Amino acid sequence: MGGSKDTLRVLFTVAFFFVSFSHALSFPLKAKGDLERSLEIVHPPQRIVSLVPAVTEELYLLGVGDKIVGVTIYCQRPPEARAKEKVGTVIDVNIEKIIELRPDLVIASPLTDHKQIRKLRRLELRVEIFDAPTDFQGLCEGFLTLSQFVGKEQEAEEVLERTKRKLKAIKKEIEGIAKSLVFVQIGANPLFTADRASFINDLIKCAGGINIASDAKIGIYSREEVIKRNPDTILIVTMGIVGEREKEVWLKYESISAVKNGRIFTVDSYRVCSPTPISFVETVKELARLFHDRH
Amino acid sequence: MKILSHTGNPQSAIRNPKYYAWIGWIFALIALLLGVVVLSLAVGAVDIPLRKAFFLLTKGQGTPEYAILFEVRLPRILLGFAVGGGLAISGVILQGMFRNPLVEPYTLGISGGAALGVCLNIVVGGADVLGPLATPVCGFVGAAGVIFLVYAISARRGGIRLSRLLLIGVMVSFMASSLIMLVMAVTKTEDLHGIIFWIMGSLEEPNPFLIKAVLIISLIGMLLSFIYAVDLNTLSLGEEEASYLGVEVERVKRAIFIIASLLTGCCVAVSGVIGFVGLVVPHLMRLLVGGDHRVLLVASYISGAAFLILCDTVARVVIAPMELPVGVITGLVGGGLFIFALSRKSYTF
Repeated sequence: MGGSKDTLRVLFTVAFFFVSFSHALSFPLKAKGDLERSLEIVHPPQRIVSLVPAVTEELYLLGVGDKIVGVTIYCQRPPEARAKEKVGTVIDVNIEKIIELRPDLVIASPLTDHKQIRKLRRLELRVEIFDAPTDFQGLCEGFLTLSQFVGKEQEAEEVLERTKRKLKAIKKEIEGIAKSLVFVQIGANPLFTADRASFINDLIKCAGGINIASDAKIGIYSREEVIKRNPDTILIVTMGIVGEREKEVWLKYESISAVKNGRIFTVDSYRVCSPTPISFVETVKELARLFHDRH
Repeated sequence: MKILSHTGNPQSAIRNPKYYAWIGWIFALIALLLGVVVLSLAVGAVDIPLRKAFFLLTKGQGTPEYAILFEVRLPRILLGFAVGGGLAISGVILQGMFRNPLVEPYTLGISGGAALGVCLNIVVGGADVLGPLATPVCGFVGAAGVIFLVYAISARRGGIRLSRLLLIGVMVSFMASSLIMLVMAVTKTEDLHGIIFWIMGSLEEPNPFLIKAVLIISLIGMLLSFIYAVDLNTLSLGEEEASYLGVEVERVKRAIFIIASLLTGCCVAVSGVIGFVGLVVPHLMRLLVGGDHRVLLVASYISGAAFLILCDTVARVVIAPMELPVGVITGLVGGGLFIFALSRKSYTF
């Protein structure tokens, strides 16, 4: 029996080592952008299937909404998109439906099932994967790339010009005002927050806030840490959790300045989770108002 | 359970009416399988009348309908056949060997090992090195690792003690799932999706080479296990009794353990963890054709294949254009069917 105990112990050690090692390795190997792969467009695509809600919205912004033949069930904005043929969800699509629609461009997200993407590519469909942006810069770049796909660079430049001007104006307005410490909750049980690599982090920065969890490596966050860091504002993103109930939970911790001053807000998830350049700026404006309304 | 060892001369054995019944069952099950295959080809998110299929086969190359029928639906059916059959006979073999009705192909931690391999591969980004083969290769390495481990720990000093093998298998399985949880807790969201997809299991496999490979391995596994059918019958009397009857118990146990494990490992590596097929199909077939492994193995293979293809078809169409994980349907349909069958017939394992 002693022998088998040793074996188990060795196994445990090896397994733990392997797991921690593999995690350490996982950071530098980021998925390479598929966007760079094929930019030469002979003629703009006429039948587009968009598997990313934000991309659907951006296609409408670029004025090619009529070229979209298929969307996911989550593509609810603009309202016109609701009438399009549904081919599945963001993560699980129906290959048969997509083939039937005979698209000349399929835009997928990194969340789309990789097997399904490979299958579509094997069937000689052009599939482009749109990496989720992690900041405003990336959002603008993605928007530009998308516009190149559909031959609408000019329109994209104009949109970006306008939004950047607006963003600058907002930044000017909040200049000199003390920055607000913000905690963002995007999930409950376990408490989940937005780390540095997330889009929300950039939103908060632009709106004159400091994300107290920006040094977190993963999203799972301890409530004790929140109490210790004492945020001025708590934002609850209603993503699958009931915002009001979570608000109740926070109210128990009266030592937090956000609780004391009644500064717990719920934010609609679509605004912060699948932004276009335009909705990004709108959200920044709204957040800036929330963060600084005591002045 | 009824044990078969035919006494008397072979001539009378061939005329035994039992064999006619067996052949009848096998043909009935083959007919069922064909029916399920046709159904699975015919239904889906896109309506394609079956009449058109023959036309498409000859002249339809390049049309969307052709691609849907023969490049989307058919590969799934083939993979369902291979995996369903493979898991079902693994279940038969292991239940027979352990003489335990609760054993299934995943009990010994094979699925856990495969899942751990796949998790680590997704997290480390093995796909960058190995390409699309990374997932099945890592799954198989994980499964094989667990098989080797379980076997090496339990097979010391003269033979495998089955109860020990079973316990160690269950423990390794628990350890693997804890490690998977650990990996998932520290993983990025995008990777998490990949892991969950894989664990839920799916017959969607873009690589035709892998489908062919699993198909061949599964059929070879069927043939190999058929060779041990009579030994399995004898083993179900008990190990001691089997050895009195001239079975080389240790050699047989080792061989069938390895066959069942590798077969399961291959299935899991490609299709992910599709539960319930390996547990429920052997029991249903025991109810239907009896406990003789010579017919039980064949019947289980065919009906396992039919069962999984049917479940996958249901999963594809029930909330189209979305798709349910096939494991949802195998569990619900399989469990329901089994409870129904059990309540109608007396059944002792």
